[in-house]
Amino acid sequence: MTKLQTLPAASGSSSAKDGKSPRRRESPGSLAFSRSARIKGLVKHAILIIVGGVMIYPLLWMVVSSLRPNDLIFREPGLWLESLEMSNYTDGWSALTHPFGHYMINSAIVVLGSILGNLVSCSMAAYAFARLQFSGKKIFFGIMLLTIMLPFHVVIVPQYILFSQIGWVNTFWPLIVPKLLATDAFFVFLMVQFIRGIPKDLDEAARIDGAGHPRIFLRVILPLMVPALATTTIFTFIWTWNDFFGALIYLTDPDMFTVPVALRAFVDSQSATSWGSLFAMSIVSLLPVFLVFLFGQRFLIKGIATTGIK
Amino acid sequence: MPVNPKGEAVAPAATSKTHASAPKAKRRLRASALVAATAAAVLALTACGGGAEQKSADGKVELRFSWWGGDKRAQLTQEAIAAFEAENPNIKIKPEYGDWSGYWDKLATQVAANDAPDIIQMDEKYITEYSTRGALLDLSKYDIDTSKLDEAALNAGKGEDGLTGIAAGINAATILANPAVFQAAGVPLPDDKTWTWEDFERIAAEVTAKSPKGTYGAAAYGTDEASLGVWLRQNGKSLYTKDGKLGFEPADIKGYWEFLKQMSDNKAVPTASEIVEAEAAPLDQSGLATGKNGMAFWWSNQLPALEKAAGGELQILRFPSKTGKAEDAGLWYKASQFWSASSRTKHPEETAKFIDFLTNNVKAGEILLADRGVYPNSDVREAIAPKLAKADVKVVDFIGAIKEELGEAPAAPPKGAGAIQEIIKRYTSEVMFNRLSAEEAGKKAVDEMKSAIGA
Amino acid sequence: MSAIGELSTMTRRKGPLSKEEKKANGRDNKAAYVFLLPWLIGLVAITVGPMLMSLYLSFTDYNLLQPPEWVGLDNFVRMFGDARLHNSLRVTFTYVLVGVPLQLGVALLIALVLDKGLRGLPFYRSIFYLPSLLGGSVAVAILWKQIFGTTGLVNQVLAMVGIEGPGWISDPNTALGSIILLHVWTFGSPMIIFLAGLRQIPVMYYEAAKVDGATTLQQFWRITLPMLSPIIFFNLVLQIIGSFQSFTQAFIVSGGNGGPSDSTMFFTLYLYQKGFGQFDMGYASAMAWFLLVIIGVFTAINFIASKYWVFYDD
Repeated sequence: MTKLQTLPAASGSSSAKDGKSPRRRESPGSLAFSRSARIKGLVKHAILIIVGGVMIYPLLWMVVSSLRPNDLIFREPGLWLESLEMSNYTDGWSALTHPFGHYMINSAIVVLGSILGNLVSCSMAAYAFARLQFSGKKIFFGIMLLTIMLPFHVVIVPQYILFSQIGWVNTFWPLIVPKLLATDAFFVFLMVQFIRGIPKDLDEAARIDGAGHPRIFLRVILPLMVPALATTTIFTFIWTWNDFFGALIYLTDPDMFTVPVALRAFVDSQSATSWGSLFAMSIVSLLPVFLVFLFGQRFLIKGIATTGIK
Repeated sequence: MPVNPKGEAVAPAATSKTHASAPKAKRRLRASALVAATAAAVLALTACGGGAEQKSADGKVELRFSWWGGDKRAQLTQEAIAAFEAENPNIKIKPEYGDWSGYWDKLATQVAANDAPDIIQMDEKYITEYSTRGALLDLSKYDIDTSKLDEAALNAGKGEDGLTGIAAGINAATILANPAVFQAAGVPLPDDKTWTWEDFERIAAEVTAKSPKGTYGAAAYGTDEASLGVWLRQNGKSLYTKDGKLGFEPADIKGYWEFLKQMSDNKAVPTASEIVEAEAAPLDQSGLATGKNGMAFWWSNQLPALEKAAGGELQILRFPSKTGKAEDAGLWYKASQFWSASSRTKHPEETAKFIDFLTNNVKAGEILLADRGVYPNSDVREAIAPKLAKADVKVVDFIGAIKEELGEAPAAPPKGAGAIQEIIKRYTSEVMFNRLSAEEAGKKAVDEMKSAIGA
Repeated sequence: MSAIGELSTMTRRKGPLSKEEKKANGRDNKAAYVFLLPWLIGLVAITVGPMLMSLYLSFTDYNLLQPPEWVGLDNFVRMFGDARLHNSLRVTFTYVLVGVPLQLGVALLIALVLDKGLRGLPFYRSIFYLPSLLGGSVAVAILWKQIFGTTGLVNQVLAMVGIEGPGWISDPNTALGSIILLHVWTFGSPMIIFLAGLRQIPVMYYEAAKVDGATTLQQFWRITLPMLSPIIFFNLVLQIIGSFQSFTQAFIVSGGNGGPSDSTMFFTLYLYQKGFGQFDMGYASAMAWFLLVIIGVFTAINFIASKYWVFYDD
């Protein structure tokens, strides 16, 4: 740790002006250098493409299978398609009580509520843990970590009893309210680590200017932890969108089903599963997640790195 | 909820950093006051919201009906619900459904929270667990006509706690054969009225030998309790005794595994790896459905789905016997699933009415057809016969044909029997991978099964 | 959410007071508890109750369908003699000790490669993250079998060079390995966190280093690694916690039975089987609290060790 401080300390104060410089670490070199760099780059791309291919082979297989007639899916190996069968998409979309879009809307409601909840409540808690000194801080922090160490299967029943007593079974509340109350310690801890990575002189400066904690939190810390907030948004979206067990337990009415529960409605492990529809709708339900990821990852690059230090 | 206040204070000490902070007592007091106030507020909120009564706005009785199955079953069942509601305008049925594995977790949670659905689709594997613990209603006390039900199927739902389940369909354990595989190998299909286990092994090995690599004459048994049950019955034993004990010895199951291993060594059935893989595969990826097995062990009501997956006709065969006589095959009628009711239902009469409708009403039969197996009510079975699909007719005919050959109905699984299938599976793979001898596995498995059912 | 509004009015009123307080003892209790309020409510109202109830249940015989009966330490004593539980511990420890470093190593490596101004960066990032999007989808089991089954992709490739591969997911000797691979395959989440962390390192440090003539490797050791250490630490702690509780992957691939021959019987899978499969929720609760102690010890060690390698700017 001490090693580090010797390095940047020399230019620490001057960096404020350089902050705007674009974030490219490789400096443009001589011609000879750039040629070897290009070969290096090509090799790098080749490796990345091969690794990427292995990574997404199963996904490609799923896409291809969704375009095959249901009864050929497991009899024809490989990724070769004889013909394009779109019927899985049309059938799958309308196979259940409601059009599949209905379940996606249900999921979207839960997801949006959860994202809002996690962003607000977790960042607040994280600010307290990372920046404020208060009695019982260490105990509370320990308790927070403890809450994610207990396997969830043994709290399902007590939690279900709790929510059914309130009368929340078959509503979205059991899926959203815990997020509004920062029960997802994963994100609190994530944000704590990010906030602790933000140089402390920034809030000291703001404090000297007379800013209180709400101001420091909103004006200094939040803008600087955009990557953490983007990460939280992306993860909350994906994990909530994919959450099967919670939705299974709490949403009993088929009208309320979210996407993962609806997808299971295609599965009949004792009889015929509509694999074609299942794969097709899996692809359809992946689209919003993927789009959110594509969009959200742009915010991963923001933060100190590009905004510089104001 | 009994709460141990010390649990909270002790546990976190394990993880929180050892740095001792020494806050003033006053602050601690203030902090805990805040927490207490919050708790009080939440509890007050909880009290206000409590206990939503399940009655719809227009004064109808609302019943919750829960089943497992895929999208096709959901459509059929909802049609049947609509037919019932048309006849009984004051009753509204709310469907709840899902896939098999999630179904049981959800049901257990709901029962634990005193929030069980009124009508529950039940399985043989779990019915004793639920009924012996008082979770299911004794349906014999309510107005449900059981006179037309097949006796064996009716008895399957009876226990110490009364009639806690009414069969929704009848099944039999069968061997299904794929004629296409036999034809390609140039082997004639066996005569299932006279064949023995030796014939089964010989024919299967022959098919394997004459088929392309990767295709086997038969799939392995050993992955469920049904085939073990048949094996034991043919040897004069049974899975369970009437008084809820294990009905066999380590030596019996040893013979079962030794024969399986011998068949695998002779390539009549696949290798150990392939057997294990097949166990986890869903029906439509099974060897029979994908044309990799000539014969396989399935329940009779799975034939239509398998035919669809295999893309061709399949043939239903009786199990082989030791003697070569069909009467000695020891088959029985099994309830494919049951209709049960929660013992805590607030509307037992209406619930019984709905179960009666599902069981005895021809209209229900005409909608549900053979989705849950062959209809146990003989009148309904006859009435809907013309409407059945070809594959279903085959099943109904087979169920009718073996009626005279059936053995005594097996004893109901005792409490804890839900674990048996998993134990059989696990030790089957121990034996197949040569990690245990059939003898050792037999001893260990029987010990484990005994402790599972507490006998 | 009105908490924010409340917050701003409160500090406007009491701002000066809290400053006085700070001068007195360097603490800001009031502000802290206001910031913590949602979390505290959640803790008290939602989290702690069920946790304590499961702790209570661990001392009972509870079959879900009937009221629990107090049995004292019976469940914990039973655990000592339960060979399958010991096996599940072995499986879980193997998974944690092999899987976590492997997954984090891959995630960090790829994140570092992707962090360098590379053309098509968003494209690669998406490709590498795609498998993680699938999560615990039903399709994963099928997809995995397409690759590691007896006739799957791996064996087809091996067959081309004349090797007859085993059934990777069905052979007790290789099944756990293939589940670890499945875990590594979904390295997307830690990778994203690493990427976000890398982006937070102020550029000025690297510029200063360059002025001082530091090599890329030196920059990595002296800037990247220390500056990223809070994030590495986070990933390490959370991955260890998560991996000890690993459930979904084994559940899906083995069809819920932890087979073949218990070779993929993770601790939580066994716990689940006991609790929901065999209606032995008292025992399952005892197992859960036992696991909590194990995870707690690991986490505590992690936190103590972190003092020697994690760099915070405070």
